[in-house]
Amino acid sequence: MPLSNANKPVLHEQQRKDEEKLPKKRKLTDTVSSVNKRIKSGTEESTAMTESQKRANFSALPSPGSNGVHRHSSPLSNNKPGTTKKLVIKNLKEKPKVPENYQQETWGKLQEAVDAIHTSHAIKSSLEELYQAVGNMCSYKMSSTLYEQLKQTCENHVKSNIEQFLADNIGYEEFLKKIDTCWQSHCRQMIMIRSIFLFLDRTYVLQNSAILSIWDMGLDLFRTHIVGHHIVQNRTVDGLLQLIDRERTGEAVDRSRLKSLLRMLSDLQIYQEAFEKKFLEATDSLYRSEGQRLMEERDVPEYLLHVEMRLEEENERLLHYLDQSTKKLLVNLVEKQLLEQHISQILLKGLDQLLSENRTTDLCRMYTLFSRVKNGQKELCASFATYIKGTGRIIVLNVNNDPDKDKDMVQAILEFKDKIDNIISTCFGKNEQFVNAMRESFENFINARQNKPAEYIAKYVDSKLRAGNKEATEEELERLLDKIMVLFRFIHGKDVFEAFYKKDLAKRLLVGKSASVDAEKSMLSKLKQECGSGFTVKLEGMFKDMELSKDIMLAFKQSVQNEKTSKNIELTVNILTMGYWPTYTPMEVHLPGEMVKLQEVFKKFYLGKHSGRKLQWQPTLGHCVLKADFSGGMKELQVSLFQTLCLLLFNEGDVFSFEEIKQATAIEDSELRRTLQSLACGKARLLLKAPKGKDVENEDKFKFNDDFKHKLYRIKINQIQMKETQEENVSTTERVFQDRQYQVDAAIVRIMKTRKTLTHNLLISELYNQLKFPVKPADLKKRIESLIDRDYMERDKDNPNSYNYVA
Amino acid sequence: MKMAVIDPAENEVNKNIWIAVGTWRWVANDDNCGICRMAFDGCCPECKLPGDDCPLVWGECSHCFHIHCIVKWLNSQQVHQLCPMCRQDWKFKE
Ligand SMILES: [Zn+2]
Ligand SMILES: [Zn+2]
Ligand SMILES: [Zn+2]
Repeated sequence: MPLSNANKPVLHEQQRKDEEKLPKKRKLTDTVSSVNKRIKSGTEESTAMTESQKRANFSALPSPGSNGVHRHSSPLSNNKPGTTKKLVIKNLKEKPKVPENYQQETWGKLQEAVDAIHTSHAIKSSLEELYQAVGNMCSYKMSSTLYEQLKQTCENHVKSNIEQFLADNIGYEEFLKKIDTCWQSHCRQMIMIRSIFLFLDRTYVLQNSAILSIWDMGLDLFRTHIVGHHIVQNRTVDGLLQLIDRERTGEAVDRSRLKSLLRMLSDLQIYQEAFEKKFLEATDSLYRSEGQRLMEERDVPEYLLHVEMRLEEENERLLHYLDQSTKKLLVNLVEKQLLEQHISQILLKGLDQLLSENRTTDLCRMYTLFSRVKNGQKELCASFATYIKGTGRIIVLNVNNDPDKDKDMVQAILEFKDKIDNIISTCFGKNEQFVNAMRESFENFINARQNKPAEYIAKYVDSKLRAGNKEATEEELERLLDKIMVLFRFIHGKDVFEAFYKKDLAKRLLVGKSASVDAEKSMLSKLKQECGSGFTVKLEGMFKDMELSKDIMLAFKQSVQNEKTSKNIELTVNILTMGYWPTYTPMEVHLPGEMVKLQEVFKKFYLGKHSGRKLQWQPTLGHCVLKADFSGGMKELQVSLFQTLCLLLFNEGDVFSFEEIKQATAIEDSELRRTLQSLACGKARLLLKAPKGKDVENEDKFKFNDDFKHKLYRIKINQIQMKETQEENVSTTERVFQDRQYQVDAAIVRIMKTRKTLTHNLLISELYNQLKFPVKPADLKKRIESLIDRDYMERDKDNPNSYNYVA
Repeated sequence: MKMAVIDPAENEVNKNIWIAVGTWRWVANDDNCGICRMAFDGCCPECKLPGDDCPLVWGECSHCFHIHCIVKWLNSQQVHQLCPMCRQDWKFKE
């Protein structure tokens, strides 16, 4: 019974409608509906029957082989337990003789009832009579004739309906209404008919697999004579398509009509061939042209919103009237015509804007929609990566050489990273593929410029770790350092970072400007974790030197307690181990006698404790806190040693020329000019310069500013840094390159020593495996040449592309 | 006008503060260790940090080495403990 499943819902709906519309037939429909329920529960019962029940039924039957009634305990007998059951048994028991014209009369009664149903008239006979008539005819082996007669009657009726659908002057809505009404009536009638002929259905039909059930027979007739007619079918399908088309343009249409008729096509098993194919074709061409048109007319966010809406609408359609079997094909079609065809155009036209304007809602939508189509995510990810690289490069390369932009580079990269991270997690579902693309892209653009990003990252860390950085609590600082480490990870030339980091760390430690030891230690451990202890061992050494210096100073103070050293000056010395710290160029300056004496006392003490060492003073790194007596009162001045030397001079005279100061202090010319500038041309002017002016000239004269006033007691006089930083910067970078050269040389020798003989290409590839900073092949070649010159290796005599190690 | 730095005030609190910086290195008669050929300002090949972690030692012959280098060398000498540079008997100075 192929159609029986599809029938069920229809039956229920049919019943409901019957009950609503036809109150006068309530008695009949009530019976029908309860019969229908019985049909279902009856079958369930029969399969769920226990052995004892089956036996009981067997015993109730006189001849077991009669007609299988026992397998399908009659729904009618269940309907009225006791009476009907008795009736059946009695009939079978007595095996009465059949009157001559019994068949004809009985059928006449039944046909009259069927005709009444077909013409919506009242049935003359009682239902009980009719059930019994069917039951009897079946018992007297008239089933096959009865079935044929019933079929013929129904066929005649169905056939008679065709004419109304062939008229020309009929609009499609009118037509749909007609066919819907006809179909509904057909179903209603067939349900009633079946309930009368149920016994036939359950016996004769069940036993003959080649014979259609009464319901299916009805469908078959309707298909053959009504919907199978090509004019009717075309009109129906075209009408349905027009209705759907109107709904797609935004009109409200009768969805229940659509639903009923599409259900009809499904029930008649012609949904796919008659409707679905045409429907999909119409959908395809509609969305193909819509996609092309709207891609031109609308901007990308609007377009995506529209696509989202279209998909929702089609889903609604599936929910309300289309058959579920259409779902995959329909959705794929919409996705293909509205999205897949336009992916690269959408990305090209709109992605950069959405990303740069941080339009997360639109980006979410784009990701969700693109995830629906083949290669959508892949293409989105690729364009996303291109955007990151492009935007990052603009930040990093700073092609206009704007110094402010360089200053803000790291902050800008961090903010960019935050933004991109946020987009990945809120819009792109934390997709691993996107995370990887982001990492690669960051690595790509950060290294698009040599050395500078590494340098600026180091300096940025310095600015955050330096005292006076009030913007962050400890937790905030910690989080910020973690973010910096992410950028650090992307950098290829980590040695450049190390050099600048070290230089700044030295300053923080020596001038006591570190904001927090904990933060310093935390940063150090992050670097250690990232690059291994080899990277941080010297930085740790610097901290160790600072600790050791404290111990030395304690011991020194105890040893000189009773000696007369200096009444005015309290000396603290930081002793640095060469090799841990940045290289400083020693500078000889003239100190006042008292300071020289103090220095000597310390030196004697230190070398007495540590034999085999020599001590070199680094006046450039020294600084002082001076108590100065102005006419307006005492001030505490935080100054460099060079500033101190200039100021002290004015204890011995009132006015000094530049040349005189230079001679007295022996500070190097440009260094001295900067120092005097800081004292006489800055915000806090401790010296007065004549003539006035920004630059220090050879003939300038300087005078102590006794009337100096400042609202603070403790005043820091900044050194003028600009030029110094540039020089420092260049030498720091140069030292990194020199160090890289040593590392390249050492690596070449190490490789050649183990391999003895190697071709040029193999040597180069091994070098790239070992070296942790970016190098050009040409530079490697130069180092190889240099090592050949210095007899560490030689070219092979037979093969000039091969080298031999020289022991 | 008066700068307190030479003001003979005995007041401890009012003292001027001078924070000086000095760097130290080994006093050696050569730049490199005769055993490992590494700079004395650096460390021996076994070590990572120069300075206190990899100190120098002097022999009575006045030759000087990384302590790790000379100890290793002496351990490898079965019979006579000689300075690798001048082949005199090795004795630690002091
Ligand atoms: Zn050595
Ligand atoms: Zn060592
Ligand atoms: Zn010796």
